[in-house]
Amino acid sequence: MTAQDPVARDRAATAPAGLAALLVRTARGDAAAFEAVYENVAAAVFGVALRVIRDPAQSEEVAQEVLLEIWRTAFRFDPGKGSAMAWVMTVAHRRAVDRVRSVQREAERERRLPVEGTPYDEVAEAVETSLEAERVRRCLRGLTDLQRESVTLAYYGGYTYAQVATLLGVATGTVKTRMRDALIRLRDCLGVAT
Amino acid sequence: MTTEEPHTLAGAYALDALDPLDSKRFERHLAGCAACAQEVTELRETSARLGTATAVPPPPGLKDRVLAAAARTSQHGPAAPARFPRRIFLVIPAAAAAGVLIAIATIFGLASSDANQRLTQAQQSSQAIAAVLTAADARMMTGTVSGGGNATIVMSHHMAALVFTAAGLPAAGGYELWLVGPRGEHSAEAVTVSSHGMVAPMIADGLRPGDHLMLIAEPAGGTVLDIRL
Repeated sequence: MTAQDPVARDRAATAPAGLAALLVRTARGDAAAFEAVYENVAAAVFGVALRVIRDPAQSEEVAQEVLLEIWRTAFRFDPGKGSAMAWVMTVAHRRAVDRVRSVQREAERERRLPVEGTPYDEVAEAVETSLEAERVRRCLRGLTDLQRESVTLAYYGGYTYAQVATLLGVATGTVKTRMRDALIRLRDCLGVAT
Repeated sequence: MTTEEPHTLAGAYALDALDPLDSKRFERHLAGCAACAQEVTELRETSARLGTATAVPPPPGLKDRVLAAAARTSQHGPAAPARFPRRIFLVIPAAAAAGVLIAIATIFGLASSDANQRLTQAQQSSQAIAAVLTAADARMMTGTVSGGGNATIVMSHHMAALVFTAAGLPAAGGYELWLVGPRGEHSAEAVTVSSHGMVAPMIADGLRPGDHLMLIAEPAGGTVLDIRL
């Protein structure tokens, strides 16, 4: 638990609690609750798939798989182990990363390697009107270059830490440490409540 | 992964930046390290914010496809049993089932401080209960309730109904009895638990083959019993 600002605390106390209740009802087979879950998470699920996979058609396919997985496995959501949105995003991000890595195994991605400084700018372009995006962008800016690149290559690029180390030309141990340090700093900056 | 401190992988894990082998190893480490689990929870909350910051309205057709697919998809796939570690059921022939249930009802009646009221209630539905108990296809199942107690069910698909009774439930808190169909359609009834933790035989109708019977603890909403009927 860390210090947090009142806005973050308010959000943590209201919206996610509602989503958690909807997931619990979804786990019992409540189709209306699942439709409400869809309304709450579809944009975040599709957005993260699109950010990681980039191809809109594949992203939509993965988003559909993720949302169906949420329907099937809502019972795995444990309100005692983090927020409902974090659970949903974990499911979504893992699926998106799996898709990218399976494609990667077959052929090198066409994606150009990001150059220094671009990843968080791309985030900004994608979400220019969102207050949440602005907060995330501001907090990413507060990281060191190596921390920021480690996080964005892993999360938005879908690379493993070993791949990130190769891309950045640093030791794997360094990347691991930077990823953890970066998330801890982001956690504090964003006022993440658990 | 090398032999170095596994804890340093918490960040990479929360970013899904481990390969599957490292990921499994780290999860084993997490299972025995409460502080690490807490840190991972916090870092997951953080990485989720990187995700929600990229929200984009999905294509308009997605919602209909997802809801249609969900309507066709059972929630109880091969992985489901992990949720219900205490599913121990016996299937007993009908005649024995009726005997056991009547014995339970009798014990309940004798043990309950408000026996008369309960017996009256039981008698009101006794015809329906008797019909299920004596149905040619009656089957009995018993299950262990998470958190304590045992449930006994006698069901008849021919009668599309079941009789539910339980004993040894924690006295505190209420329960709901749910019948959940393969497409999520369901019915729910409040369960009256006596101060002795017993539930008088109650009838639930509208049973369809493949339904799950769930006992839900209120208000937390935890599933404490799940039986596929």
